[in-house]
Order: sequence, then structure tokens, then C-alpha cells
Amino acid sequence: MNPARQFGTLIGLLVLCVILWILSPFFLTVSNLLNVAEQTSINAIVAVGMTFVILSGGIDLSVGSIVALAGVVLGLALRGDQPLALALFVALVAGAICGLANGMLVSLGGLPPFIVTLGTMSIARGAALLVTEGRPISGFAASFRLFATGRVGFVPAPVIATALVYLIAHLALTRTTFGRYVYAIGGNEEATRLSGVAIPFHKTMIYVVSGLTAAIAAVILTARLNSAQPIAGMMYELDAIAATVIGGTSLMGGEGTLAGTLVGALIMGVLRNGLNLLGVSSFLQQIVIGAVIVVAVLLDTMLKRKHAV
Amino acid sequence: MTALAPVLEMRGIRKAFPGVVALDGVDLALRAGEVHMLLGENGAGKSTLMKILSGAYRRDDGEILIGGARVDIESPRDALARGIRVIYQELTLVPQLSVAENIFLGALPARRFGVVDRRALHAQTARLLADLGMAIDPRTRVGRLGLAQRQMVEIAKALAADAADPGAAVLVMDEPTSALTAREVEQLFELIQRLSSRGVAIVYITHRMDEVFRIGRRVTVLRDGRVVATRTLNEVSVAELVRMMANRDLTDHFPKVRAARGPELLRVEGLSRRGALHDVSFTLHAGEVLGVAGLLGSGRTELARAVAGADRYDAGEVRVSGRVARFRGPADAIACGVGLLPEDRKAEGLVAGLTVARNIALPHGRRLARWGVLSARCESDLAGPITAELRIKATPVQSVRLLSGGNQQKVVLGKWLAGRMRVFIFDEPTRGVDVGAKVEIYNLMNRLTAQGAGIIMISSELPELLGMSDRLLVMHRGRIQTVLEHDAATEERVVSAALGLGAADDRGTSHGVVG
Repeated sequence: MNPARQFGTLIGLLVLCVILWILSPFFLTVSNLLNVAEQTSINAIVAVGMTFVILSGGIDLSVGSIVALAGVVLGLALRGDQPLALALFVALVAGAICGLANGMLVSLGGLPPFIVTLGTMSIARGAALLVTEGRPISGFAASFRLFATGRVGFVPAPVIATALVYLIAHLALTRTTFGRYVYAIGGNEEATRLSGVAIPFHKTMIYVVSGLTAAIAAVILTARLNSAQPIAGMMYELDAIAATVIGGTSLMGGEGTLAGTLVGALIMGVLRNGLNLLGVSSFLQQIVIGAVIVVAVLLDTMLKRKHAV
Repeated sequence: MTALAPVLEMRGIRKAFPGVVALDGVDLALRAGEVHMLLGENGAGKSTLMKILSGAYRRDDGEILIGGARVDIESPRDALARGIRVIYQELTLVPQLSVAENIFLGALPARRFGVVDRRALHAQTARLLADLGMAIDPRTRVGRLGLAQRQMVEIAKALAADAADPGAAVLVMDEPTSALTAREVEQLFELIQRLSSRGVAIVYITHRMDEVFRIGRRVTVLRDGRVVATRTLNEVSVAELVRMMANRDLTDHFPKVRAARGPELLRVEGLSRRGALHDVSFTLHAGEVLGVAGLLGSGRTELARAVAGADRYDAGEVRVSGRVARFRGPADAIACGVGLLPEDRKAEGLVAGLTVARNIALPHGRRLARWGVLSARCESDLAGPITAELRIKATPVQSVRLLSGGNQQKVVLGKWLAGRMRVFIFDEPTRGVDVGAKVEIYNLMNRLTAQGAGIIMISSELPELLGMSDRLLVMHRGRIQTVLEHDAATEERVVSAALGLGAADDRGTSHGVVG
């Protein structure tokens, strides 16, 4: 939407990289950068769905719990000796169903997204804990682990998955009627409705997208941990919201891009990696990341104020 | 008398936004006690000038003098402290709070521990309202008031702030009558008179010529960010003012061309919606403009929305070209060729963040896309000819947010021109639109009816309804009070019907027309 704004986020990322390059000799190495990309992939993928939802003027707090639930479903299917393709399919369906429930409650039930997804957050987490009795599921075939450890050339599989998800989602957002309606609903829902757009259907689909991307992230996470854990994905919703907002998407809806969200996710990933390299305590890390979120949005707001009027 | 010495003077004001110079060296001098009309087409710079005066924008260049001394107005707070009060078009009241709470929101009288002193608050408010001649209960929740009364409260609020301050010296009103009925307008004018006799300088922005001459003493005309002239109103004619604004002669405000009346397009029978519409029946034929008159709250907008599928109705039937239409939503109505231009373009007509082309294409996504995929240029290809036809002063890839009111309205019109609509429902199509764009909208209506479309036009501006309608339907309290053929429609008849006078027999005589 706003090229100047995106440029700003990108410059922020580059400045961050330069600083870390100066401070740590290990930062700018191929292996470390690949490491960052790999670690960022899960948050980046979850943030795709979050971007759709926030663009439409909503919020999805349930994605972290959906990551856990979809992971557990995947784990159970794999341990039940189901074929890999089927296991993946049911995991994605589980994520989509959670999204469907969110979307229908928001669009047909007319409830605020915050409340609906707060409820689903608890329900999905509870369901994941219930079916596993709180214990992790592990011991998967080596072929499944390739989702985390596999490489194409030197590029890790999660990075390729992220690139694919972003490519498809970007095309959907910019080249399809669905994408156009996401922006239109977030920009002015009533005008969009009066233009004859089926709001309930499209709103529901937006949450389904969010559930789906959470489930895709769950596949990668489960493969990386080599175990499906009902307590996985805690606070992922906040990371995803942070990446989206740092990337310039307006919480009011209607404005933002996936490219921005990707840069936002990378800023968070690079920051975490850098702070680890510098040996900063994890307590202090939380403070730094929180500050970065606030500063990024502050800069954004100031920029907009300058340009808008 | 120092009446001729300006209380406030703006000199050489300049303000540029990215890509546009909104104001280019504007001078404006306000004298105590005068009502100074500010005229200009939308986009001429009136609002920007007033936002600089109120501290909402900062000027790039120029100076502001109060009582001959240079002052800096850097924020709305500065402006308030200097006695400058602005009443914006968009009302700024909190509907959940009472009239009194709204008026004194910034300075609620409190007792210990911040507990609001209700008795003092209500007494204070009652005093203020009585002083201004307003009959409103201070305890009423603002959400329950009509638009006109809210406007009154807004004015009271603006003036109340001066109790503690040096006093309101300048009051700016931006199209304050656009939502008011004739009687309420009278009340407002009385109030303006009272304020001006107390020495308050009033800047009054409007598009209505009758108001200009009715209450104004002097007028300043802006065009393209410059002052065309400042004149005393008894030395200038309407035609001159219009020429100054538009820089082109507009001898005929209503270039109505009558089209041949074709077959019946729309038949509404017994339409009812609890609390809004009662047994409304009418027909619309091809080539016809059916005007709908009525006061605010008479059910005009509710009728438009029900027919266009935007709201549900409890009983009745809508037939399009003879076939019964059951609209479950606007999408169904659009599929039947019924398009609605809603009353409030910002809230219901446009997605501000999207481009011109994308707004115009919004209702046509299904037609434009293949398997949901929009090809690279399809939206601008659709919108290009329409922006040209409507002479929208913007490129298809520009965001509609920064367009002037007239151009924004043309974009909303463009949404329906892009489709194959046969029935157009225009709710206040020219509200907040400058003279030039108004004429263009009228000409567009002529073209549409010539092509065999039918138009329902709702408007608060009687001259426009009388000038453009082939038939006129007058509503009162959710019912059709009367239907008048064009040659039988006079201002008096419409007004009296809108007020609910001379109801039943009038209706009887025209029942054949109602169908």
C-alpha cells in the first residue's frame, strides 16, 4: 500500500543486521543466517494468517493453541501408522476447522473477534491437552523429520515452505477477488456489503486461512521438535501479531502487506538471534523485543501522521 | 466603532500536501459581529483553511493576526485559548453521554474525589441552552437526539468552552444546515443572528446560495487554493458568485432532459418495516426520475435501503420488471440490476484506503475474475472509461481518501455505471458536492434515463427534486403522503405534504399514479 512505509521497515531490518554484524563476528555467516531464516519460519507462517485477519479488521488470538492442537492431531495420526499424506491432511483440516469455527462465530454470530478467538484459544489448548493427557507424542519416522531437517541444495525445508506460503498468500491477497475483499472489509465493511460482497462467507474464509497457516506451522514445529506437544505454540499469537504490526499492517484493518509482515517476522527473528549471539539474558531479551515492537509502531504512526494530512 | 478593524486576519496562508498545493497565499479578514460566508467548490481549500485556523493543520507559510498582533496557532488548544471555535461537518459528540456531559466534557464540575456535581452540571447546561434559545433537556442522552438537535448541542458545546476562556471571538460552521429541516434552519439562523449581535465573527461554509444571501454580510470565494474575491453581499449577484466559484457560467442549474417513459422497471407494493415504513407502494418506469421528498426520519432512506436489499422488510413485495424479487442482501439486488448510492458516502459508499479503480470494481469482482483470480489490468480497464466519462479528477490508481467530496461521490456513482444497472437509487446524490459536480451528476442522470434506466432520487434539496424529477413522491412518518406529477409539483405542495398536511385527499387523487 505505502511504499515509503515498507521501505522504512526494510531499512530497520538492514540497520539491525549491520549493528549485529559489527557487534558479533558470527552473525553474518551463511550458517547463522540460514539458522535465523529457519527459526523465523514458524512465526512467519503463522503471521501470514494473522495478516489476513488483521487486514480485515479482526484479530486471531487462537493461533498458538491451533498450532498445538494441529500438531497433536498430526502426532496421533503419525503414531497411528497412518500414511504421511493423510496425517498431514488431517492436521491441516484440524486447523481449518478451528478457523471455520472462529469465522462463523465472528461473521454469523456477530461476536467480536477478540472474544471469539480468546475462547477458541482456551478450547483448542484444552482439547490438545485432553487428547494427549498432557503428555507429548514422539517417535516419528525419519521421513517425517525431513520437514524440519531436509534441505534443497543448502536451503532448509522450513525456509522453502515459508517462501511457498508467502508466494501463494501474496498472490491470493493481490490478484484475487478474495484478497481484494479482505482489504475492502477491513477498510469499510458496510460499503463492501452494499457493493454486494458476501461478507459472512469471506470473513469466515479469512479465519480459515489463519487456521490453515497455523496448522502448516504446526507441521514444521512438530518435525523440528520430533514430538507433538500439547503445550507447544504458547504465545505464538503475540509473536504473529507483533510481526504483522511491525510490518506496517494497521490494527484498524484495510492497510498493510504480506511483504511487510515477512520483514516484521525477520526483524523479530534477527533480533532474537542477535541477542543470543551477544549472550544477552533471556529476561533482558523480552524487554528489548517489547521495546522494539512499541518503537516500530510509534515510528509508523509518526510517519503516517506526517504523510496523511 | 472599531467594527471595520478585523478581529482576526489570515495573511498569505500557504499549505501543501504531497502532490497538491491546497492553499496558495490566501488572505481572510474577519470583522467582529459579521457573518462571513466562505464559498468554493469542493477541493477549493475551504476546509484546509479552516483547519489551519483551528490548529488542526500547521500552515507552511503566512501569518495569523488577532487584534492586530501576530499569533502562532500550533494546536487546537492554542486556537481554543484564542477564542476560535470550529463546528465540523462530522459531529463529535459521544452518543452514550447526556447533553450536559457532552457540552462540559472537558470541564465537568466536580466535587471531592472527582465525583461529578450533577446538579451544578445540569443547572449550568440549562442556563447555557436557555441563553442560546435551545429547547433541549440537559439530561437527554445524545444518542436519542435527532441530527439537528445534535448539531445544536455541538454549537452549545463550542460556545460553552468560553465560560472560562476570554470568550468565543470566532465561530466557524461547516455546512451546518446540511442535515436540518427548514424550521431547524430558522432556529439556527436566529442563533447566528444572536451571536453576531454579541460581536462574534462567524465564518459560514455552505453550498446553498439562498443561505449565503439570507444571513451573510460578506463573502469570500475560494478557487483552487486562492481567493477569487472578497465582496459585500449586497453588491454581488448569485450568477456572479457561481461564476467566481466555477469560473464558468452556469445559467441552468437543472439541465433536465425528459426521456420517453418506458415499461415498468420496479413495482413496490405494501412495503412495511416496523417503526420505519408503513404500507409503501409505488412504481418506477424506464426513463423516469422518481423524486422522493420528506423530512429527515420520514422513512426516505429506509425505503431506499429496503428496496436495494440493504435492510430487511417485514411485509410487502418488490417486483423488478414484473418478477417478484426476494433480496436477501445487496448482492441479490445488484444481480437484478438495482444499485444503491447510499446517503453517507464515507461510511457506506467508499473504502477510503482502496484506489479509485478498486472501489469502482468492488461490486463487479465476480464478473471480472476467472476462478476468483483478477487479471493484472482488469480493474483499471473497467474503471478507466468511467473516470473519463464522469470526469473524475484522479487517476485510477489513486487512493480515494485524498479526493474532494465531488470526486468521491463520482467514484461511488462509477461503481454502478460499471455494472448493467437498470434501477438506480440515489440517496442524496449531491450532498456536499460543489456546483460544477452537481451539474455533471444531473447530466449523468439525463444520460441514464435516456438509455432506459429508472432513477429514484432522494434529496433534502427541494429545488433539485423539483428540477430533476418526473414524478415526486412525498413521505411522512414512513408513509407515502402524496405523489405529484412534475407539472403539479410546487414547493408549497411538497412542503405541506412533507409536514403531513393535506394528506388523505391528495393521496386519493393521485392514487392512480401510485399504481
